[in-house]
Parts: sequence; structure tokens; C-alpha cells
Amino acid sequence: MSADPALRFEHVTIAFPGAEGPLKVVNDVSFAVGSGQCLVIVGESGSGKSMACQALLGIVPAPGAVSGQGIFWEGRDLLKSSARDWMKVRGAEIAMVFQDPAAALNPLMPVGRQIVDVVRAHRSVTRAEAERRAIEVLNQVGFPEPERRMRAYPIELSGGLRQRVAIALALACGPKLIVADEATTNLDVSIQAQIIGLLRSLKEELGISIVFVTHDLGLAPEIGDEVLVMYAGHAVERGPVREVLDRPSHPYTIGLLNSAPTLESSRAHPLKPIPGQVPALDEIGVGAPFRSRCPVVVSGRCDSAKPDWTACGGGHFVACHRFAQDGIGGVQ
Amino acid sequence: MTAILEGRNIVKTFTTRRGGQKHEVRAVGDVTVAADRGEIVGLVGESGCGKTTFSRILIGIETASSGTVLHDGKPVATKADWKALRRDVQYVFQDPYTSLCPTMRIGEALAEPLLVHGIGDKSERAERVREALSLVGLQGFIADRLPSQLSGGQRQRVSLARALMIRPRVLICDEIVSGLDVSVQAQVLTLLTELQASLGLSLIFISHDLRVIRYLCDRVVVMYRGEIVEQGPVERVFGAPESDYTRGLLAAIPDHSRRGEPRLGLRPAGHEGARLA
Repeated sequence: MSADPALRFEHVTIAFPGAEGPLKVVNDVSFAVGSGQCLVIVGESGSGKSMACQALLGIVPAPGAVSGQGIFWEGRDLLKSSARDWMKVRGAEIAMVFQDPAAALNPLMPVGRQIVDVVRAHRSVTRAEAERRAIEVLNQVGFPEPERRMRAYPIELSGGLRQRVAIALALACGPKLIVADEATTNLDVSIQAQIIGLLRSLKEELGISIVFVTHDLGLAPEIGDEVLVMYAGHAVERGPVREVLDRPSHPYTIGLLNSAPTLESSRAHPLKPIPGQVPALDEIGVGAPFRSRCPVVVSGRCDSAKPDWTACGGGHFVACHRFAQDGIGGVQ
Repeated sequence: MTAILEGRNIVKTFTTRRGGQKHEVRAVGDVTVAADRGEIVGLVGESGCGKTTFSRILIGIETASSGTVLHDGKPVATKADWKALRRDVQYVFQDPYTSLCPTMRIGEALAEPLLVHGIGDKSERAERVREALSLVGLQGFIADRLPSQLSGGQRQRVSLARALMIRPRVLICDEIVSGLDVSVQAQVLTLLTELQASLGLSLIFISHDLRVIRYLCDRVVVMYRGEIVEQGPVERVFGAPESDYTRGLLAAIPDHSRRGEPRLGLRPAGHEGARLA
């Protein structure tokens, strides 16, 4: 990570009102992204990863409340921004690519026109200039024959092309940070490889920072510099991608890796699924969030206190009582 | 050995109209796939390769333009033949949110296949519902729930349980783990291998995820644009793929076990989307 990260998400909590007090869908989570770097946030349904993304764009739906030390973007605290300031940042400096391009695009409007609208919302340019910009970004994302095909409606495009349009939309105003929420999840592997290659080239050639959210740990080494693993609203492990994948240290990260079939796996070596289900948010209480499914619970500690970060070396940290007590041997 | 279920030389063409002109789209072109007893056959390929259309023809949801479906070696021709086939072959759909009726309690949904096939009386059916739920690792009280009260993983287990109600010999599973979280996917895959071993089920397992196919299947059939490009035992196809398309697909897989090697650079999309070959 660079010395002066472009984005710092510091001790942020996102809470929704529940029957018995607030439900923290994101619970005291911190991360930072250096400029031109990519942070991969890995987590399953309900981990809070998408909510954290929405906080980065100031689009957490009501009645969700975002609090914490701050979301610092190039020195400014976005948490303290007015709705007007957000309008200037969102789409222009920080842009988002959503999971489902079919739902993110307006079905009744040609795709080029949608890009033109975004450009004109943020810049005072003529329609012709905005159209030139649309063609330019469509070219950048490898959209074939943009002059002609920008008049196509979303339904006339394949899933891969729609996702390219969604990325072009995000690029239209020259953002410095792109938040990609499961942006490759429903695509075929070959298209997925192309979209990841595209995002990587944006990072490497244009110096754009990326927050890449996925449930597939296998994607982390393809694009990420750092990885953050989330479980039930908590950050449980973080560090450089290779460090975390080579020496996974949180029992949840290990469980996730053991659950995922790889090209070398076969029925002769059965998967080891994590038993049980993700607990409801109001069941987590004060202890370690993973304790109800954890094979290496430290009795007396895991149900009474949230674990702090323990350094594993090489910029790799894990929030686990067992690791803090016994090191990696205790966890595996 | 005679295969339990076979689609032989299946061809399916759809006709579309564009600007008043008829176009023929060949979704499946001369595909033959058979499943032996206790065998898990994987059908793999990208969107639009015809894998789903082919599998729907196998149970008669779609009709083949030409070709034959064979059940225990005999061609399926009459209405009675199809009914007998559906008594033996069940289909599990991709999306557990749309494949369960939202207003029907899980117990009723599970009992329905028994009613359709006229099996058992009321108390026997209730017993079979309990059995099926426990077979897929769900507790009995789930029978009183509505689909909206269940998680995605639970719904997919219910879909599986419903397909198992009439004790079929073959299950066709169309992308049934695609929408699930990794840890839930592992639970469902483990369940499938247990069911296959304990009930001697044959599975035709459709997926675009080669890692899942590699893990689960005995044999794999790779499809591209309606045709089979390669088939064989998974070890052979994954270890020494013969076709360029299979090699391209394998190289495109994100895999955390692969040590930092970048994926193969694929050709950028042309007008009709990606081409690997």
C-alpha cells in the first residue's frame, strides 16, 4: 500500500434499526486503498461487503445510518459531506459498477445516450462533445464499433457487452476510484477473464484505484493487491493477496478455501464445508462473529470479547483469539 | 451395459423472425450423451452452448427437431413412455427462488410429485416428506414454512428433496449451485455425492463452473455452439485436453490454487461475443 492512501475507510459502522436495538450490518470496519491499487473485499451473502461499497458512494438506503471515524477520500471526510458535495464526488470521482448490468442500465434508452447523460450531468459540455466522450470510453472498454452500436438498446447486447457498457458508464467522467460490486459474478469464465483484464488495465494504465467486491477468493490474485475478508459484518482478515492466500490464518478464511473446489480437487478428497449457517446479526452479540461455526473456539474468550487484530507478518493481520493465543498452528 | 438415459443424435433448431424473414438457429446439433447407473456426467459450456436445451429435451420439456431419447435402451415415443421416463428421471432447476411456488408450504410442494404420480395415501405422503427433508439435511418443521422464509441454500435443498420424492434413478441438475455462496455450494456438493453413493443415483450435472465439474463428475462433455467439442473422464479432459476450446476454458478459470500465474489472454470480444478458439 502506498504511503498516502487515496481512500481510508476508518472504523465505519452501518446500522439499521431492529426490534431489539440497532443491527450492525457493517461493524467497525477499516480499510485503505492506495492510488492505482486494488483492494479485493471477499465475503458471502450478508457479510456486509455490498453495504460497505454503498457507503463509499453515499447510497446506503434509509433507514441505514453510517457512523465512525470517517471515510477519507483525498483528504476530505465524505461522512461529513452534504448531499450536494456527494453529488460532485459520486459518478465523477468515485464510480460504481454493479453486479447486474441488465438492471443497472435503462432498458428504454440506447446505451450511448445513457453515457452522454452521465457526462452532461457532471460537465458543462455540448451534446456533441459528450457523444465524443461516450465513443472514447466505449473504445477504451473494447466495445466494438462504438459509433454505430452506441445506438443499441441494452437488450440487443450480450451480457459481456452490457458489462462493458456499465464499466464505460463508470469511466465516463474520469473517476479516480471504481467500486466494482460482484461485477463479474454472472458472466461466463471467458467473459469474466476479459472483464478482469479490462479492470486490471484501467488500474495499470490509467492509475485508477479499484475496490473489487466478490464472493470468489479465486479472483483475488487476478486483480487484487490487498484483500479484506468479511464475515457477518466484521472484517476478520486482511493483508497482501498472496500472503493471505498462502497463509490463511482466520478459521473462516481457511473454511472458505476448503469449501471451494479447485482444478485439482476431486471426490477422492472431499470438500470440507463450513458447518451450519451464518448467524443472524442480533445473535452475534459481544463475542467473535465466527464462534458459532468455528472448530477452534477459545472457551471463555470467543463468547465474551471481539478479537483484536493480531499481526501475522508481511502486513497480514487476523482478528482471531485462537491465532492470538496459539499462532497459526492452533488454527489449522 | 445399457444406459439408463440417453439422448442420441439430438438436434434442435429454433426459428426466429427478423424483419419478416425467417432465421433458423441451431441450438443443439447432433449431440449424443448417455448416463449409466451411478454415473455423474458433467455438461459444461458457456451461455448459449445448448447444454440446457439438450437437458430439457431429455425429459421432454422441449421437443427435439430430430434424434431420439432412450430410456433403459428403448426409444421414448408415446405419451406413456414419457410418463414412465419422468417417473425415473427428475429435473432440478437453476433458480431456487422461481422454481418453488411462493404460496405453497414446503410440505405441500414436496408431496405434490407423489400426488401427480398417485403414490401413497395422506399419512404415507407425510412420512415421505419427513424422510426427504432429513435426507437433504433439513429439519421437519421446514415442511410448515413458505419458500420466502428460507435461505437460498435451504431452498435449493428443498428443490433437491422434491426431485427425490418419487425415488428417481436419474437427476438432471441444471446449474443448481451457481447462485449459492461458496460455503453453501460446498454443503450442496457434499450432499450430492452422499446421495449418489447411498441411493446409486445417476446425475447429469450441468454447470459453467469447471472447478465444480472437476470435483463432482466422473465424465465430462464439453459443448460449444450446440456441438460436443470434447468428452471423456474428467481426469483425462482436465489433465490433457484435446480441443483448443477446452484448453481455453481451462486457462480462463480463476483458481486460488494456481500460484500467481496469470490467466491466458483471451481474444477480445468480436461482434458475437467472445470466441475462444
